[in-house]
Amino acid sequence: MAGTTHAVNSVADGLRLPLDFALSPRLAAVPLPEVGEVAPEVKAVFDEIMTFYAMDHVPAVYRWMARDGGFLQGYWRAVREAFSDRKLDRLTKEILAFAASMTAKSDYGVDFHLREARRLGLSDPMLTEAVEVVQLFNTVTKIADALQLQPDFPHTVGKR
Amino acid sequence: MEIVHVTEADELTPEDQRFCEATKAWFKIDFVPKMSRVLLTIPEFGRPYGRASRRAMMDGALTRAQKELIATMVSAINVCEY
Repeated sequence: MAGTTHAVNSVADGLRLPLDFALSPRLAAVPLPEVGEVAPEVKAVFDEIMTFYAMDHVPAVYRWMARDGGFLQGYWRAVREAFSDRKLDRLTKEILAFAASMTAKSDYGVDFHLREARRLGLSDPMLTEAVEVVQLFNTVTKIADALQLQPDFPHTVGKR
Repeated sequence: MEIVHVTEADELTPEDQRFCEATKAWFKIDFVPKMSRVLLTIPEFGRPYGRASRRAMMDGALTRAQKELIATMVSAINVCEY
């Protein structure tokens, strides 16, 4: 999940794709396929994506991926699997993706995952607490790196 | 290798040693993490930071487990091994 979130954000921000929900001043650096122009198998993936996220349009980053339908299909299925309810619920996963996006300073990811987390039930108190944790650990990770602190927790602590 | 001397817990003031004992209880561990000791090198920074951390990491609208997952995600994105 961390991997796909970070990678999708990198593509979206790298290509300056417009945000999907907030008003966006960004103009995509590349042309995106129009939904009406794609092959039926790509259209089927688009429909899955819109259903999964309860959206009335296809997120810009998936329109970009549709330039290669086979890649889109495989990557989307992997993302869907990573973000589906399993041992962690979808809301928790979206909060984690939001935290990853904030930490990586991804405008696209913050816009996308904050909207999705809210849709799945993120309340204002939950958002406040999540951002506090992001802030705390962006502090201590930078201190740890600056001082080159070696890990002191044995990797087996709390392992289940 | 650390580029600074990491203060040992027994070098800290009694007040800060008590805070370290609370940290051990919080994490259910038998040692004081280096980060706690580093932060307390400047107690005027470390003490309020520690209090803010404890407050933020308690069960609330999000569970402590969810918060630890967020912390892990931030650490992963920042590629912070510590």
